[in-house]
Amino acid sequence: MLEYIGPALQHLFTVENFLWINLGVFIGSVFAAVPGLTVILCVILFLPFTYKMTAIPGMMFLLGIYCAGGYGGSVSAILINTPGTPHAATTMMDGHPLSQKGRTKAALKIALYASTFGGIFSALMLLFLGPQVAEIAAQLGTAEYFMVCVFGLTIIAGVSGKSMIKGVIAACIGLLISCIGADPMTSYDRFTFGIPRLYLGLDLAICLIGLFALVEILAKAEKKPGPLLLDTKKMNDDGKITKEEYKRMLRPTLLSSLIGVMVGIVPGTGASEASWFSYDRAKAMSKHKEEFGHGSVEGIAAAEAANNAVTGATLIPLLTMGIPGDGTVAIMLSALMINGLNPGLSLFTTQGDIMYAIMIGLIFVNLFMLFQGSFLTKLFAKVVSIPQEILTPIIVLFCFAGAYSVNKNYFDVGVALIFAVVAWLLRKLDMPPVPILLGMVLGNMTETNFRRALLISNGSPAIFVSSIYCIIFVVLIVLAVATLIRSKMKEAKAEGKK
Amino acid sequence: MKRWMDWLDEKRDTIGEKLSKKEMKLPIDIVTGIFFLLLGAVILLIMPKQVPVSDSDVINGQAFPTLLMAVMMICSGVVLAKELYNIFVKKMPPAMKNINLLVEVKALEILAILLLTYVICRVTDLFVAGAIFCSLAFLIYFRCRKLSYYAITLTVAVLIWIAFRFGLNVNF
Repeated sequence: MLEYIGPALQHLFTVENFLWINLGVFIGSVFAAVPGLTVILCVILFLPFTYKMTAIPGMMFLLGIYCAGGYGGSVSAILINTPGTPHAATTMMDGHPLSQKGRTKAALKIALYASTFGGIFSALMLLFLGPQVAEIAAQLGTAEYFMVCVFGLTIIAGVSGKSMIKGVIAACIGLLISCIGADPMTSYDRFTFGIPRLYLGLDLAICLIGLFALVEILAKAEKKPGPLLLDTKKMNDDGKITKEEYKRMLRPTLLSSLIGVMVGIVPGTGASEASWFSYDRAKAMSKHKEEFGHGSVEGIAAAEAANNAVTGATLIPLLTMGIPGDGTVAIMLSALMINGLNPGLSLFTTQGDIMYAIMIGLIFVNLFMLFQGSFLTKLFAKVVSIPQEILTPIIVLFCFAGAYSVNKNYFDVGVALIFAVVAWLLRKLDMPPVPILLGMVLGNMTETNFRRALLISNGSPAIFVSSIYCIIFVVLIVLAVATLIRSKMKEAKAEGKK
Repeated sequence: MKRWMDWLDEKRDTIGEKLSKKEMKLPIDIVTGIFFLLLGAVILLIMPKQVPVSDSDVINGQAFPTLLMAVMMICSGVVLAKELYNIFVKKMPPAMKNINLLVEVKALEILAILLLTYVICRVTDLFVAGAIFCSLAFLIYFRCRKLSYYAITLTVAVLIWIAFRFGLNVNF
């Protein structure tokens, strides 16, 4: 590890990298602060810009968006009681009540400090755990890899929507889409319907533009465009946090950072799960339970530390096995692979300097987030007030230009439009889109390992329970399914009572 | 121009008022179950034509998609069976989703703008032409009357084209 640190720092410490980090952090903060615009959408829109960059600035830019998105969502949650991102809903529980008590700046500061702590903690975990996990992953065979993919898909299917079965159906659709094009083992074309352009398969970025970005434009039909007024005058308090409050924040911040890392490392889960779980834990362990929901500093710190502690942890399965920890980092896989960086142990050995530069860079991303958050939050709030009339066509044009620029043809723009319509119809059927994304990302890996394992065993499915790792994953899948079904039943019961 | 926009808004208001009252109730789980059951069956039916295989393959290219479709059809069956059990045995009303016609018509309007932008870009082979149309169309869709918004949006549209054309060397 140490032999890579020197060259990695040399790669990292350039003006170009720091500029991209700051641009990413700024864009991520602003995007996440606008309710309805998600971090995943932002990463999709700006992905084409990284195609012309080398690996480090490209990843730094995307990681800047990703990490700042964790904090940015809390700005509108605290100011106007509307979470900018889904995970900021937890921050809103105490952030807005504290703001109503005339301590808006203090609430924002707590969110920022906890986010930064969680983010740096997570980046350090990535730095130390990443190479170790990569070594374990190198021992996994085809059957074990298949089981890891099934595990990731099961989790994401379970946590993405109201119904786990619908999540599984959505994951199957994503996996089926990944089958379009040349067979990865025989090169025969599949599901191309005589269209030569489909032989190479569907590009992930293009499908995602339709699935996540253009569908949001169609969803404008559901909402009346009102001005989003984030009143910056509210931020006129001194923002002082007392010593006593700092002391009270310490334990939930530490514990939530740990929970965030543990949740983030599980393929398929994300910031929302980490935030809610940490918030519940912090409440259960607090001496001031009565303050929760009424502006508790512990509540804000727990939620924010957890959602940013996910950021580095989600990269661990991505960089070591090619299995994304959540939907947003799944898109970053494209930015890595376009630069010839294929996930696995070799990434940490043959390209260790680049890898370590990215991992150390994540610490700086969080530091710049702290810097920008301390001085520019008022500006974020002002930029967020851009009217929908102006914002909507700009997003559409980014989508069209982004889809065109991948392969430089309009066929891909057409594909993105088809995916938007499909996503709109699936939305009507309450089908979650994230399992489709993960299915598309993991499709090739899942199928190749499934078929290779069966080839090795001469067609016997017993190979999927033949090793200790396989059995561990089977047990984990069964446990996960049982837990998810139990929690869904509880939710349904609670809803029924209401 | 102002008169034309007033006339257009008035027309949209009249139609919108009528449509907003029209709602359709969709038995969502029944529709989902049937739709994906049929989709799985169709994919399995077209599989032999769409996925060529060789007799020498132990595990061929059809194995994985067939497995997926089997899982999808089983899940669809479960969704359907659960809903039918609720209706006929538990005597519960089916899960319904309200589909508002006004929302769907508005979504179609937006889709029309997107499709026209695509057609203009493709026919003229000039992204900036489509970008200008798209900006104007959305501003009209949102009933925007502020000239400054038109100026800002059109400027940004041209700037996006410049950024991609000259910054990223995307020739369109």
